[in-house]
Amino acid sequence: MDWKARVRAAFASRTIPDDDIVEELAQHAASAFEAARADGCDPAEAGRRVETHLAAWAGQSAMLARRPSRSPAVEPPAAAAPWFAGLGYDVHYTFHVLRRQWTHAAVIALTLALGVGATTVLFSVAYGVLLKPMPWRDADRLIRVYETRQGSTRKPTFLTNGTYLAWNERPATIENLAGWSVYPAAMTGVGQAERVRVVEATASLFSMLGAQPTLGRLFATAADGGAEPSQVVLSHQLWQRKFGGARDVVGRPLQIDGQPYRVVGVASEAFAFPDREVLAYIPFNVPPVGGKDGQGGTISMFAALAKLRPGVTPAQAAAEATASGRSAPDPGLVTIAVFGTKGQVQVSAVPLLDSVVGEVRPALLMFLVAVVLLLAVATANVASLQLARATSRRREIAIRSALGAGGSRLTRQLLVENLVVGQIGGLAGLLLAAVLLRVLPSLAPADFPRVADIGLDWRVALFSIGVSLAASLAFGLAPVLQARGVNVSEALAEDGLAPVGGHTRSKTARARLLIMAGQIATAAVLLVGAVLLTRSFVALMRADRGYDPANVLTARLLLPDSSYSAQRRSELVEGTIERLKQLPGVRAAAVASRLPLAGAEILSAFPVPGRRGGREVSAHAALRQVSPGYFAALGLRIIKGRGFAETDTAASQQVVIVNRTFAAQYLDDPPIGVRFAFDREVVGVVDDVRYGGVGDPVQPEMYLLSRQLKSGFTVEEPMVLVRTAGNPLLLASTLRSIVRQMAPLAAVESVMTMEDRVWTSLARPRLYAVLLGGFAAFALAVAGVGLFGVLSYSVSLRAREIGVRTSLGATPWSIIGLVVRQASVVTAAGLIVGLGAAAMLARSLSSLLYGVAPSDPITFVAVAALLAVVAVVACVVPARRAARVDPVRVLR
Amino acid sequence: MRLYILWPYMSMPNELAREVKRGSTELLILALIEDRPRHGYEIARLIGERSEGTITYHVASLYPTLYRLEDRNLIEGRWVEKAGQRRRRYYRILPEGRKVLASQRSVWEGFFLALDRVVKLRQA
Repeated sequence: MDWKARVRAAFASRTIPDDDIVEELAQHAASAFEAARADGCDPAEAGRRVETHLAAWAGQSAMLARRPSRSPAVEPPAAAAPWFAGLGYDVHYTFHVLRRQWTHAAVIALTLALGVGATTVLFSVAYGVLLKPMPWRDADRLIRVYETRQGSTRKPTFLTNGTYLAWNERPATIENLAGWSVYPAAMTGVGQAERVRVVEATASLFSMLGAQPTLGRLFATAADGGAEPSQVVLSHQLWQRKFGGARDVVGRPLQIDGQPYRVVGVASEAFAFPDREVLAYIPFNVPPVGGKDGQGGTISMFAALAKLRPGVTPAQAAAEATASGRSAPDPGLVTIAVFGTKGQVQVSAVPLLDSVVGEVRPALLMFLVAVVLLLAVATANVASLQLARATSRRREIAIRSALGAGGSRLTRQLLVENLVVGQIGGLAGLLLAAVLLRVLPSLAPADFPRVADIGLDWRVALFSIGVSLAASLAFGLAPVLQARGVNVSEALAEDGLAPVGGHTRSKTARARLLIMAGQIATAAVLLVGAVLLTRSFVALMRADRGYDPANVLTARLLLPDSSYSAQRRSELVEGTIERLKQLPGVRAAAVASRLPLAGAEILSAFPVPGRRGGREVSAHAALRQVSPGYFAALGLRIIKGRGFAETDTAASQQVVIVNRTFAAQYLDDPPIGVRFAFDREVVGVVDDVRYGGVGDPVQPEMYLLSRQLKSGFTVEEPMVLVRTAGNPLLLASTLRSIVRQMAPLAAVESVMTMEDRVWTSLARPRLYAVLLGGFAAFALAVAGVGLFGVLSYSVSLRAREIGVRTSLGATPWSIIGLVVRQASVVTAAGLIVGLGAAAMLARSLSSLLYGVAPSDPITFVAVAALLAVVAVVACVVPARRAARVDPVRVLR
Repeated sequence: MRLYILWPYMSMPNELAREVKRGSTELLILALIEDRPRHGYEIARLIGERSEGTITYHVASLYPTLYRLEDRNLIEGRWVEKAGQRRRRYYRILPEGRKVLASQRSVWEGFFLALDRVVKLRQA
C-alpha cells in the first residue's frame, strides 16, 4: 500500500506538508496498520483505524506544514546502555532536586550533622579512653594492686613494703611485681635548674611494661648501693629538650633534689608511664619493714603494678597478696596512722585499664547511651521528613515508572538522593566533631584519664562515615520501599493526606506522631539529666566546705631539705608571714603544711586518754602544722574554746586544736583542757573542714603550731595563704618578691586563689554537666528543628485547606491555633513519656549527683517549661506562614 | 477532630486534568527519549502502553509537538536507515532538552502536590 499517497490524500484540501513529514507520517501509518493487523483486525478495520490518525493529522495541518528544512545526517541509535548509564544524571538530578527544595535538604543535612557530630565526638572519647589498648606489653594482664586494713575508711591507693616484699618472694599468681611513686623534684647540674616530675620505680617496672631504651639501657639491676651515684633514665622528651638529643648523654652526671645521679639511658619516645608529664626515672629499692616486736618499723607506700600469669584472675592474685601481706612483719603504730586502724591486711586488684579509667567509665557509658539515643532520634526525624516528602513524590515516581524507568533505576535515583543528602550531613557532622574535639581537651579536667588518646583518627572518621551512611540508608529506606511497590505505598497513599499530629488515620501518620513524640521525650530525658548535673555542680560550688575560699591567695613555697633545715624553714616562713601581714589590704596571712585541695598530708597515730576515764586508746589523726593566723586566713569556724594566739609560743604551754570529728571520736565533752600527745592541751575545737572533695568522709584532724614543734617546720613545701580585702591575685607578684628576698634559693609555685583551687577540683562534674548539657542542647535542637520541619511541611500540604478555611471566614488566629494545636498534642505526649522515663533513669545518676535529688521537682518543671517554649518557637514560622496563606493564590 | 469542607469549585479536577495533559506532552516525550533515541511511532506506542490509561494521549498532537520541540532545539530528529527495515526518523534529546526535562519534573512535583490536595479535600 502506498501510505505516502494516502497521507497526501488526507491533506487534500489543506496545505500538504513537506516531503519528509509526509514520509514520517506514512511510516507511522504503515506501522499502525501493521500493528492493527497483528491485533487481529481485518484489512478494512485496520484501514479505518489508520484513517482516524490521518484525519487527526490533517486537522493539525497548519502545525505540520511549517517545517524548516532538516539536516539529512544519518545516525544509528545508541547501543543498550550499561548499568551505570545515567548515574551522573541521577546525581545531577539530585542536586537539581536539592536546589529546588534546599530548605528541606538543609533541614535533613543539619539534623544529621548534629547527630553524627555528637555521636562521633562521644565515640572518639569512649574509644580513646575506654577501648584503645594501653601501649604496654600484655596490657590486659597488668593489674594495679591496692592495700588497706580491715575496718579502714580511707580509700586504698597504694601497697606497703611489707606486703610487696612478702608477696614478691615466691608469687604463684603473678609473673612480676613492680612499685613506683611519682613526685616533683628539682633537677640541677644540667642547664637551668628546673622542677621535673620524676618516677621512682623498681627495676621490674620497665621489663614488665616491655619498655625499650632509645639509648643506653634501662635499670638492669634492682640496686645501686653505697656511695655510687644512682642511675637515672631520661624520658625522650627531656633528652631532646635538655640535651638536644645528644648521643653522648649516657654517663653524664646531674642532681635530683641535690642527690647525685648518672644518666644510664633514654626511654623510647612512645614510653610514657604513668603519663607524659614524667621526665625522668630513678631506681627504687623497696625497704624492709625492720623494727622489733611490731614497734617502730618502717612503712613505705607506693603504687604497685603486677603482671598476672596467663589464666589467673585479679581476684586470685589479690587473695594471694592478702595472704602474703598478713604474714609480713607489722610496722607497729604507724599502721594506725596510715590506715586509721590496726585490722588485717586486705589487698585488692583491678585491671590496669580499669584503674585508670574506672572512675569515668559510668559517666562515659551514660553519655554513649545518650548520644546513640540522640542519633536514633535524629535519623528517625529525617526518616519522618523523607516519608512525608516521598508521599508527595509518589506520582512523579509513578510517571517515571510508567515512562519506562525500571525498578532498579528508581531505587538508584532515590538512594542516590538520600546518600547525597546523608553524606552532606555526615561530612558536616564530621567537621563539627573535629571542632568539638579541639575544644574538648581545654574542657577536660587535668586529672581526666587518657585525654591524649582522644582524637579524630581514621577509626573515628570511618565510624563517622559509617554512621552517616547507615543513617542515610535508614532514612532513605522508606521512600525506596514505597517506590518498589512494597505494601508501604498503600499506607503512604493515605498518609500524604493526613496532616501531621492532627489526625492519626494512617499507620504512617501514627508512626510520624510517635517519632516526634519520641524526639521530645528523648530531649526531655537528656535535659533532665543535664539540669540535674548542672544543679549538682552549682550545689558543689556552693557547698559548705568549712572555710571561706573568697579573697584568699595561696601559693606553695619550695624549701627542700637539701637547702634548708627545718629550723631555718620555720624562721623563713614566719618572717614571710610577718612581712605579708604588713602589706596594705591584707586581712590575715598564714602558713600551713596543708590547705584544702593542696599540700602535704601528715598522718599520725598516738595514745589518747580513754573517754569517761576508760583505758587509753590509739588515736589516728591527720596533722596540720600551721601558723597562728591560719584559722583567720582561711575563715575556719572555732566551735569551742579558742583559736591559736600570738601568746602561744615555743616557751608557753604546748597546745592543740582538734576538729569536730576528732573531738567526737576520741574526747570527752567538754574537750577543752584534755591533754595528750606529749602533754599537749586541747584549747579549741574547729568545725570540720573538707580538705578533699565535698563528699569525702572527714578524718580526725589536729592542728599544731609549727613554732611549738621541736623539729621545726618539717614539711618541705609549706603552703602560704593570704586573705585580702580586694582581688587577691593583685598580691601575687608582691608575694613572689618577698619570698625571693627572704629565701633566694626558694621557689614559689602554684600561685592560685582558693576559689580557683575549688573551681579546678570541680572540673570533672563541670565537664559532665557541660557535656550532657551539650547533648541536651543537641537533642533540643533536633526536636525543635524536627518539629519545625514537620509543621512547615504540614502547613504546605494543608495550604489549600487553610485557603478554603480563610475564604470561608477563618481568622488568622484560628489558623495559627490549628498549627499550635498540632504541636501541643505532640509535645504533651512526648513530655509525659520523657519525664516518666527521666524519673526512672535519673536514679542511675545518683552517684554523680551532690545536693540534689534525682527526683528534684524544680528540674522536672523547668525541663517541661523549656520544651514547651521550644515547641512554641518551632510553631512561630509555620503558623505565620499558615496565617498568611493567600486563598486566591492557592485555590486558583 | 474530623474536618468537613464544602468544595466550592467542583469543576476544578477536570480543569486540572486537562492541564496535566497539555503540560505533560512535552515532558512525556522528553522523558521517553531521555535514555535513547526513539522514532515517532515508538513514542506514541510507548505512551499508550506504559501509561496504562493514566495518561490518555491523542495521536494528532504528537508530531506537531515533536516538531515544536525540535524547533526549540530541545530534541533533534534524524533519518536512520537499517538493512531490512524501513527508513525511520529517530529523535534524540539535546542538552537544552535535558534542562527543560529536569525543570518540568520539578514543576510536576509541585503539581502533584496540588493534585493530592484536591483529592484530599474531596475525601474529607
